[in-house]
Amino acid sequence: MTEAPVTTMRLDAPAETRNGARVVEHPEDSELLRRAQRGDMAAFEALVARHQNRVFGMAARMLRSDDDAAEVVQEAFLAAYKHLPEFRGESAFGSWVYRIAANYALMRLRHRRVTAQVEEPEGSPTFNERGSLIDDVADWSRDAEAQTLDAELRKAIDDAAQRLPEEYRQVFLLRDVEGLSYEEIAQAVGDSVPAIKSRLHRARLALRAAIDRFYAERAS
Amino acid sequence: MNDAYTCQDCIDLLLDYVDGELAHELRARLEAHLSGCQPCEDFLKTYSATTPVCRRVLAREMPESVSSRLHQFLRDEIGKHPAGR
Repeated sequence: MTEAPVTTMRLDAPAETRNGARVVEHPEDSELLRRAQRGDMAAFEALVARHQNRVFGMAARMLRSDDDAAEVVQEAFLAAYKHLPEFRGESAFGSWVYRIAANYALMRLRHRRVTAQVEEPEGSPTFNERGSLIDDVADWSRDAEAQTLDAELRKAIDDAAQRLPEEYRQVFLLRDVEGLSYEEIAQAVGDSVPAIKSRLHRARLALRAAIDRFYAERAS
Repeated sequence: MNDAYTCQDCIDLLLDYVDGELAHELRARLEAHLSGCQPCEDFLKTYSATTPVCRRVLAREMPESVSSRLHQFLRDEIGKHPAGR
């Protein structure tokens, strides 16, 4: 596999929270980074340990495969190590490795030859000829946001996310789970911000509909 | 001319509304519809709740075995190109 571009994917430095997704920043990273750039392997391994979970989580969600995600994580951290001398710290180390891994994951997804005809996700609301909502709408928001998520609800959401067409799933994961900006996602997937927003909206509608069905079936 | 939004108009605008990116006039028209439409109010609440709920479900931890392989892999590869590369 050809090496993914390490420095060409420009992403903004992460804020403390991005779209509700918490970005963990470690003040000690800069010290570990300095030591790693001087050849301290233990310092580099400490950096890896701090950021591996987040990087793995993103890759596993994107690729739907722990094995593929493990490979992407290995490739990303190895690439980061090789490019340590050039890393100037314009962004946090964790964000930099994250971008590298996201590039590798996206390359793999393109390589899987996603079908040219993009499917549409299910779950769009239905309206009458006057544009009024026909569906019964129940407000389950408080139940779903409760502390402990029901195992069956987790499965319903997991299944619905798996069923999302790939292009919609990618955008949902990158924006709503990983917290990337629209511009970052547009650059990463090679599409326009309006197109990204449209797919995100459809993905949210599909997932919302899946949760809706879960509560409707439970109530019946 | 009837400027009132329909349910469909509102739902189509929800992403920008939730992001706080709707122009003032559009926002006012959407909220005017919401104030008189309970189904759309409930739809908005559930639409807004979808993201945080899904984020919790889809969060993934790296298995310990994968972590061990990662660190061993890096040691092996970096050992081929030690400091001073």
